[in-house]
Amino acid sequence: MTKEWTLRELAAESGVAERTIRFYISKGILDPPLRGGRGAAYGRDHLARLREIRNLQARGLMLADIARLPEPHLAESAPTDTLPAPAAWESYAVADDVIVLVRSESAPWRARRIRSALGEFASRIQKNQQEGDDNERA
Amino acid sequence: MNALEIRTYGFIPISAETGREIKLAMQRLWLTGRILPVGARLLVRHTFRSEEKKPLEVIYAFGLPRDAALRRFRITGEGFSVSSDLKTIDKAAEAYEKGIEDGHLAAMARQYQDGVVNLSVGNIRPGEEVSVLLEVLAGVEAHDDGLRFRFPFTLAPSYHSRARMAEVRPGVGEIELPGDEFGDVILPQFASDASSLHGVGFDLTVAMPVEIKEISSPSHPVRTVSGSAGRSRLSLAAARDVPDRDLVIDVRTADSKGAVLAGTDTQGKGRFAVLVPSASFGEAAEEARRIVFVLDRSGSMNGAPITQARKALEACLAALSAEDRFGIVAFNDTTEAFKGDLVAADMKNREKAAAFLDKIQARSGTELAAALQAAAKIFARESGDIMLLTDGQVFGVDSIIDGARSTGLSVHCLGIGSAGQDHFLTRLARETGGVNRSVTPRERVDTAAVELFASIGRPVASDLEVKVEGFKDGSVAPAPPNRVFAGTPLLLFGETSGQGEGRLRIEWSEQRKNRRLELPLAVGPGGEGETIRLLQGARLITDLEGQVEAVEGQGKRAEKGGIRMLENLSRTYGLASRAMALVAVVEQKGDRPGDLPVTRVVPVGMPQDVGFGAYFGMGIDAMALSGGGLLRETLSRHICYDAAMPEPRESRRRMIGKSFFGEVRGDLDALKKTTELDKGSSRRQGAGERVDLQTELVALAARIQPDGGMPGETEEERVLASVLAVLQFLAEGHSTRSGAFRKHVQRLVAFLEAAKLQNDVVREVVKRARDGNPVPGDWSKKKADPSLWADLEQALQFRGQQP
Repeated sequence: MTKEWTLRELAAESGVAERTIRFYISKGILDPPLRGGRGAAYGRDHLARLREIRNLQARGLMLADIARLPEPHLAESAPTDTLPAPAAWESYAVADDVIVLVRSESAPWRARRIRSALGEFASRIQKNQQEGDDNERA
Repeated sequence: MNALEIRTYGFIPISAETGREIKLAMQRLWLTGRILPVGARLLVRHTFRSEEKKPLEVIYAFGLPRDAALRRFRITGEGFSVSSDLKTIDKAAEAYEKGIEDGHLAAMARQYQDGVVNLSVGNIRPGEEVSVLLEVLAGVEAHDDGLRFRFPFTLAPSYHSRARMAEVRPGVGEIELPGDEFGDVILPQFASDASSLHGVGFDLTVAMPVEIKEISSPSHPVRTVSGSAGRSRLSLAAARDVPDRDLVIDVRTADSKGAVLAGTDTQGKGRFAVLVPSASFGEAAEEARRIVFVLDRSGSMNGAPITQARKALEACLAALSAEDRFGIVAFNDTTEAFKGDLVAADMKNREKAAAFLDKIQARSGTELAAALQAAAKIFARESGDIMLLTDGQVFGVDSIIDGARSTGLSVHCLGIGSAGQDHFLTRLARETGGVNRSVTPRERVDTAAVELFASIGRPVASDLEVKVEGFKDGSVAPAPPNRVFAGTPLLLFGETSGQGEGRLRIEWSEQRKNRRLELPLAVGPGGEGETIRLLQGARLITDLEGQVEAVEGQGKRAEKGGIRMLENLSRTYGLASRAMALVAVVEQKGDRPGDLPVTRVVPVGMPQDVGFGAYFGMGIDAMALSGGGLLRETLSRHICYDAAMPEPRESRRRMIGKSFFGEVRGDLDALKKTTELDKGSSRRQGAGERVDLQTELVALAARIQPDGGMPGETEEERVLASVLAVLQFLAEGHSTRSGAFRKHVQRLVAFLEAAKLQNDVVREVVKRARDGNPVPGDWSKKKADPSLWADLEQALQFRGQQP
């Protein structure tokens, strides 16, 4: 028999507050209960999705980002051994023709250093571009 | 208020994207109540209306004012009116959720850390209007000659190293905080344009024990009506306003006699609140100072605040003598120190410091804790003061306060911002033995900084002890502060066994001499007794909350003993805290159990003068990357995923570009509005001249040399220039005793008294500087030429006699 929980039980099982679960449903990142009304129930998919949301948040994603991810049931129907786990990246367009991707889960200190290095890199590219333009004009 | 009434007022929020009317879950927020010299007792009416087809759950997040606590609320609608109960956090959440599950209307007000409150109202029926009238007790920023009251109408987005923030729609930003540290708190969406959000307004009574000289607001247009002596009523001059800044009200009294408020509470116990002006403790003797200025250069300080703060620091340095030593730390998500240790305030170091300040650009995040530690390192093991200029827009303040306290240094704060940092900075200052002042970006940040600097030298009183005498039992709580600084009165709360007459005996030391002050204390029936009890409770709870870390939902981290103390304190005073919440459930006919309400979070406006791009879109990271230069226009940042297609780059860039230009426009607007506001406060001069005069005074102050005199090539030229500077400060209301530039005037006077060149003019100017007797004129424009002595003699003899 499929395991079902009330909202309160789901909250206890997942460690996510009931109000937060309602918030997720309203945001469209968690499916509504299996049945409405007095006997509202939630299933294993709900629990799995809540855990997935928590994991994605821990990796730096916001709820708005999670809402843009593929629907969980689509992900489930795909062959899991070939589909890599989603990962968040930050894209820095440091020039019109250069994009640098940086994993977004870096520790804050590490991210700061990377950004600092990128800043120097971007400055250099800008300078080179400027010099190139000047030479061309000359 | 129904839709028809909204139209009558000419207010119909329209979506810029769809052109359709926006359905606001929260329609209106209206503030009423009384402001007393020792705190405020407030009622906040929140009006919610459901335009949904399903039951609605609304979550409104707001920040508490300083020293504030929630007392109770009443939820009212058609055919019902129910009061809240005070319960432990777990019990309150359980009652709220049970109410929702059973299909009842339920409401809960729960406080999280950093003074953030979530007011949740669930199961509002389609088409139903519900109001929640919330009673709030709040502190005020007390001054010797009045007070400043702040109430947050919006919540400032703030920095935290683990916060996630992004622009989720054009002009709409979201911040999510790590659940392991902040529990299930829900923050609002931040709208760059607040014009389509709920309306806000206020109607307040001010009750002071002495005559009110002036009431004004640097934040809102107000209408005031004077009542009997010491009482005034003020309200919003317009029909409505938008939630994009704090309400700030300044009250100036005709004299600085302080106040003794007393009465009995509902249990018959005597309660009192006493304000003792700092002037009652005498003047502080001068001694060599050790001070480190900590300047916030985060992105949210961009524009007028950082520009004025830089100039203000230069002026503060000029008030230091060569014996004083100083340091400077500038911080955003990294810290940068002017020097590794304290340096003498000589001309060479001041010039280097000015060059250091000139290079400071506002960008990136706010790592305040690291900055305070860097300042402590500069002091090595010496004692001294930190003067912090910040917008205070940070989350996770408990650890910052703990870190600051552990340094043993006093942190004096100037909070710069149009929204909500007062709760934090008040605690930071008090818990480190400092003082706190706040200023909006549309006021003069430079003058406020100089004013704070003048106040925080040597305290006028230390090691205070207070006794209640003449009553069977009497006590003071919380314990009196260790030090009192010029300009900030001593505030005491206490209780007595009942009615009667007695006295307060205040003892302190000054220059190793014991001093004493006695104040009569008469406790009569009723009066403000119950209000004082509640204000005292709010203050005690605020103090205790600082000592209890991570209460919300994190049992393993929570200190159970501390939580129990907080619960007991909440129960004793009937006030909510981080351990106790307010909850109400309304059972009505027709309630349908099990219907899942749709949840909506009430959006708030970005604080006025904070660029949207400082936090969202072209935000912190990209700003840091660009270095504030040309790259801003070519950089973009977005998040994409291995398993999903990234968003089209072009659309993202347009969005970011829009927010960036909004930020730039915001800065220019801020500068423009600062000018306009100052024009409005002009008294004698023409509008533009007043602005220039304030700027000129800051520049004039910054030119004072380490020996206290103005620069010049000869002794006579220096004395003459110093005479002119004193006259200019005097003409603008600054003497050796009063005004933001009093320290500068004191130094100029000391220089003139020590000068070899002495004549009638010098002696007269020194006397006038001490007496606060100005000679009208534009003295700083005059050239320090010896031929001026005769003119000055004439001016002092004749023009000085004018009334």
